[in-house]
Amino acid sequence: MQHARAAARRKPFPWHVVVFLAPAVLIYTAVMIYPLAETLRLSFFDRTDEGARFWVGLVNFERLFLDPHWADQFWNALANNFYFFVVHMAVQNPIGVLLAALLSMTHLPGRTFYRTAIFVPAMLSVVIIGFAWKLILSPIWGVSETLLGLVGLDFLFGPWLGKEGSALTTLALISVWQYVGIPMMLIYAALLAIPEDISEAADLDGVRGMALFFKVKLPLIWPTIGIISILTFIGNFNAFDLIYAVQGALAGPNFSTDILGTFLYRTFFGHQLELGDPHMGATIATAMFLIILVGVMAYLWGVQRRMRRYQF
Amino acid sequence: MNRARRSLTAEAAAHAILIAYTIIALFPVVLILINSFKDRRAIFQAPMAPPTPESLSLIGYATVLEQGNFALYFMNSLTVTVLALVLVLLLGAMAAFALAEYRFFGNALMGLYLAIGIMIPIRLGTVGILEMMVATGLVNTRTALVLVYTANGLPLCVFILSEFMRNVSKDLKDAARIDGLSEYTIFFRIVLPLVRPAMATVAVFTMIPIWNDLWFPLILAPGEAVKTITLGTQVFIGQFVTNWNAVLAGLALAILPVLALYLVFSRQLIRGITSGAVK
Amino acid sequence: MAELRIADVEKSFGKVEVLKGVDLAIQDGEFIVLLGPSGCGKSTLLRIIAGLEDQTSGTISIGGTTVDHLPPARRGIAMVFQSYALYPHLDVAGNWALGLKQAGETKEVIEERTKEAARILELGPLLQRRPSELSGGQRQRVAIGRAIVRHPGVFLFDEPLSNLDAALRAQVRFEIGRLHKQLGATMVYVTHDQVEAMTLADRIVVMHQGVVQQVGSPADLYRTPANLFVAGFIGSPRMNFLKGTARQPGSLELDHGASLPLAELRQPAGEVVLGVRPDGFAVGDGATAPVRGKVVLNEYLGRESYLHLELEAGGRVVVEVAPDNPVRLDEIVGLELKPRAAHLFDAASEQRLAA
Repeated sequence: MQHARAAARRKPFPWHVVVFLAPAVLIYTAVMIYPLAETLRLSFFDRTDEGARFWVGLVNFERLFLDPHWADQFWNALANNFYFFVVHMAVQNPIGVLLAALLSMTHLPGRTFYRTAIFVPAMLSVVIIGFAWKLILSPIWGVSETLLGLVGLDFLFGPWLGKEGSALTTLALISVWQYVGIPMMLIYAALLAIPEDISEAADLDGVRGMALFFKVKLPLIWPTIGIISILTFIGNFNAFDLIYAVQGALAGPNFSTDILGTFLYRTFFGHQLELGDPHMGATIATAMFLIILVGVMAYLWGVQRRMRRYQF
Repeated sequence: MNRARRSLTAEAAAHAILIAYTIIALFPVVLILINSFKDRRAIFQAPMAPPTPESLSLIGYATVLEQGNFALYFMNSLTVTVLALVLVLLLGAMAAFALAEYRFFGNALMGLYLAIGIMIPIRLGTVGILEMMVATGLVNTRTALVLVYTANGLPLCVFILSEFMRNVSKDLKDAARIDGLSEYTIFFRIVLPLVRPAMATVAVFTMIPIWNDLWFPLILAPGEAVKTITLGTQVFIGQFVTNWNAVLAGLALAILPVLALYLVFSRQLIRGITSGAVK
Repeated sequence: MAELRIADVEKSFGKVEVLKGVDLAIQDGEFIVLLGPSGCGKSTLLRIIAGLEDQTSGTISIGGTTVDHLPPARRGIAMVFQSYALYPHLDVAGNWALGLKQAGETKEVIEERTKEAARILELGPLLQRRPSELSGGQRQRVAIGRAIVRHPGVFLFDEPLSNLDAALRAQVRFEIGRLHKQLGATMVYVTHDQVEAMTLADRIVVMHQGVVQQVGSPADLYRTPANLFVAGFIGSPRMNFLKGTARQPGSLELDHGASLPLAELRQPAGEVVLGVRPDGFAVGDGATAPVRGKVVLNEYLGRESYLHLELEAGGRVVVEVAPDNPVRLDEIVGLELKPRAAHLFDAASEQRLAA
């Protein structure tokens, strides 16, 4: 087979592919994938008081889910996380869609300004945002009370961040306030991608205004809203910063704002008298990993498969 | 005629809603900024008023600059962010090119492997990361932060850029091959310039979370010498919690650089987002 | 200048066989067109010649040298792409010079070649323009110029006219033809457009499903297509096909009863397909002709008209008639075969039957 040999000779090993790919893959593997795997592995271990590591199987998970000392905190944090997510979905998406729809009205003057301004909070650090709102909502300063007074609603005012019943909702709304610019932009981009022809065809069919939006445009941007939802879901497990900045590691009052992120931090590093426990920390991280996995899978198989993507 | 009139009312309503929301979005930021320039009495008596000649006071800023190491924190943040950004963009673009351009065994699998990082927050690996950094002696170094942020930024960068690189004309790359350009030259001289807009978008998406992150500075680099501005502000405010002048000035100092940068680059940024880089 | 030899080239992508053993000898200075529908493997073959794609087996040699182990830049070829593929950040002169610089040519040589190409293509005034400042036709001429300055042994064209509008297409086609005469270089040209193939080629290579169907001059292919595929692919409107059985010389029994006198049929041949081009029929008397059909469409094109007939025996045919014909819609007309208009193919093998 002379031909085959000729072909083999002219194909030197494609080193350039390796050179292009290797640095990224190495760093990614070493600093992201390996520690993630290591964290999953550690969830099956514990250590003696002398620090020696030993295999415990699923004992850590048993403790996390069933032992009252852990389970109470875990289920509380999980429920809070879920609530946090629901508030985002229920408030952030409708506001995002509304703002994007208004911005995408043809020839609306000043939309660059609106876009820029509404996106400002999303650029700032959660720490800054958290403190700013803490000050604004503080009864000592009284800014919120005054503002509510302007519209005759000052009787509603209370130390929202300090009360068990309202603290988590308040934090979730602060988070929505900060990040609503992102869904707004993504939906805005999706709306802009709908060709003008379609709106004009709808116009000729007598569909315009609100009907145009709800009957033609909204169905076309469902996939975008789906993506935003799954991004929000994943982002929830990163929501540590806001709560840590505003309420501290104990996620007060009385753990009413505790979510998995703060729970993980407290467990891993310890706080006050309790020592940090890397193995339980790893166990919590693994549980979060599984929850995300289930969520993403549910989305991919349940939602996205049924949703049609439109090519324009 | 009828239509024009109706869209005028609609437009007025749209403006009303947008203005209302713009005020909601900007009010807290503006409130912090104006009050940071006032004396303590004015902060409490007339929080909504802009600073007047009588109430103007820079005492908060004086405290911050005396007590805090804000210049150092700022430089730390800048170093970490810029280094991580450069690494993410360069290495990410190279990997994206390899995935988009070459047929090789395991190409699709490699793409999936890299995509895991988009779905799973890197924070879940914190236990493992800290152990590794302790083992390699990188705790309390900026290198640790740069490595973590690079690893975290790569997946999305590769994902977005490989989409764009697939759209770079195949003919163009082939023409360059016939002209005798090496694969490296084709990447750096032909392909990279053509995906520059997408790189800008990726840069923004990569940069903001790094600059604003609290978690990893808190865990990997809490030392005074390597504190980032976000962590520095958080710690500073925690210490001066009753000194309203100092707290407000600290917040304002953390807001202003980001705000300035944003106002300069917002046009490109928004164009980047709306260009459909992320769908 | 060089001859090009393609020996037993096969190519598969995974399990898909794109080229199933292609053999071609192209002479020095010849203009060869690779013609076929999309997906027939013609572009893959061109890219293998260029070295942009590796063949699975087989050998390419240019000017007597095997080039399988050489990268594209060292094969002595130049290629013109469908999408022009000009470097957007370089001006016309820069686009032309890049490959020459890469090959280490001196400044003088580059300048001389640039001048020469600019003269041939009449692009002198545009040398400092960027591709974005040029029209589509100009861009394609710049792309051709980039090939000229390399002084290649073989020019390769990959559907170079597809991105141009109809008027420009004719003009650039003419220029490519002129260029071939002027340079006398070997050219391999890929297209799916038979007009380009017929007007430009010394020889056409018709490809289908990775197999060369026929190689020959435009006139050969038109007059004596080697099989049903070539017969149907060359000529517009396409050839009409009627199925039948040849039991005895001189007469063909069509599938639906009628019997057609056919002088070309000299011996029994079993199941056959009769191919007749639209201009091979004459419209005759609707009462006596052996083949009759109803007029369902009359396409008026100025110089001629095409009648679409639904045959009584089933099937449709297109017949060329004079534009001022008196035929009305729904009228029944008869068809007669003109002399030497019949092409006969074996129904099973689809190959042409020797007359």
